[in-house]
Amino acid sequence: MRYRGKPELQDKLAAEYVLGTLRGRARLRFQAWLREDAALRRTVAEWGERLVPMAAAVAEVRPPRRVWSAIRSRIGASAPAAVRPAAKPGLWDSLAFWRNWGLVATGCAAALVGAVALRPPQTVEVPVVQKIEVPSTAMQPSYIALLHATATDGQKLVFLAYAGRHSDELWVKNVALGSAPADRGFELWGLPATPGEAPRSLGVLPPSEKGTIKLAAAADESLRDFPALAISIEPAGGSKTGLPTGPVIAKGDCLKFW
Amino acid sequence: MDPARNRVLADLLGACARRDEAAFSRLYQSTSSKLFGVALRILRREDWAEEVLQDCYVNIWHHAASYEAGLSAPMTWMTSIVRNRCLDWLRRPNLEVALGRPDDDGEDPLENVPSEDPGPLEELARSADAKALGECLRRLDPKQRQAIVLAFYQGLSHSELASHMREPLGTVKTWVRRGLERLKGCLGTV
Repeated sequence: MRYRGKPELQDKLAAEYVLGTLRGRARLRFQAWLREDAALRRTVAEWGERLVPMAAAVAEVRPPRRVWSAIRSRIGASAPAAVRPAAKPGLWDSLAFWRNWGLVATGCAAALVGAVALRPPQTVEVPVVQKIEVPSTAMQPSYIALLHATATDGQKLVFLAYAGRHSDELWVKNVALGSAPADRGFELWGLPATPGEAPRSLGVLPPSEKGTIKLAAAADESLRDFPALAISIEPAGGSKTGLPTGPVIAKGDCLKFW
Repeated sequence: MDPARNRVLADLLGACARRDEAAFSRLYQSTSSKLFGVALRILRREDWAEEVLQDCYVNIWHHAASYEAGLSAPMTWMTSIVRNRCLDWLRRPNLEVALGRPDDDGEDPLENVPSEDPGPLEELARSADAKALGECLRRLDPKQRQAIVLAFYQGLSHSELASHMREPLGTVKTWVRRGLERLKGCLGTV
C-alpha cells in the first residue's frame, strides 16, 4: 500500500477523512486501510479528538418523536420478550455499517467485525414472527408500490407490492392483472429516476394471486433507486435479454412508507 | 465536554452494550438533539437527517460494546458516526441525492460563515472542551479557517468548497491542508 511507511501522508489523509474532504474512491480506499491498520485507526481517533469538538457550536435541534419510535421498533424494544421480533441486525446494520461508515474512525474495526460476526443473536429467535415484522402499533418502515394499468391511463389499480425496508422479500398481490397469456409470464421492473437509464428486473411474478419475489438484496438496496415500478409481459421465466421485451401493462410509483 | 458528562455518557454506552434499554433511552435523550443538529447542517433536509439519525442510533445500540473510552470521548465517537453516515449518504449513487440536497435555499453558506466574523468560533470559545480548538481556529488565516469550517459544518467536498469560495480547486485544497497542519501544531501547544 502506497501510504505505508509514510506517516506524514497517513496523517494528512486521516485529517481530511475526519474533516470530511476525503471523498469518493479515496474515502473508500482509506476506509479499507483503516480496517487493516490499528495505527492508522489511532491516528484517525486523534484527529477526531482534535476536530470533532467543532460540533459543540452546532445548534441543537430536537428530532421529531417519530425518530425515537422508529429506533425503538427497529431494536425490538418494549414489546414483551416472548413476542418481539428478533432484533436481528440486517446486513446493513452490521458489517456494511462498519465497512462503509468508517466508524472505524474510533478504532477497533477489525476486532469489531469479528465481534459482530461472532456475537450470538441478542434476543431469542422467534421464527414464527420473523417473516413480516409487524409491531403492534405501527407499520415497519417499508416500500410500497401501487401499479395501475397502462391501458386505462392509470385509472385502474391492478397490482400491489410491499417490502419491509430491511427485508429482501417483496410481497406482491395481483389485484386485477388477470393471468398472463400461455407460455408467457409477468415480470416486474424497477424504473430508475434517470431518464434513459435501463429498467432493472426485480423478478418474475408468481403465478398465484398473492406471493413473494425474492429481491437480490434488502429492499433498501434493491428498491431505493427506483421511484417507479412496471410490469411487462415476457417469455415464461422472464426476459432473456435482461430488458423488457414485451408490452408494459402496468406502471406506478414505488414509495417509502416511513 | 466536561469529564463528568463524559463519564455519564460512557457509562450509558457501557449499559447499552449490556442491552439496557433504559440506558439507551437516556443516551438518546441527552445526545439526539445535538446529533440531529449535526446531521441537519450537513444534509439540509429533515427527512434525510431523520433517517440518518435513526440508522445511527440503531447501530450505536448494536455496536455499543465496541466503544473504547480510551480512544475517544463518547460524544466524539457518536458524532463521528453521524458525520460519516451523512457523508456516505451524500455519496449514494442516487439522483435524488444529487439533485435533492437543497442548495442552501438560495442562501449562501458564506453568509453563515463569513470569513471575517468568527461565527461558530464564538460558540466554541464558550464551550469548555472546544475552547482550545476555537482559539486555534481563530489563529488560522481567514481563508484556511473558512475552508475548514465550511467543510466540517456543511460537509462540503474540495470541489464544493472551490465553487462556494469561488477559488481554484488547488488553492482550496492547499488552504485545507495547511489549515489542518497548523491546527494540529496549535492544539499541541495550547
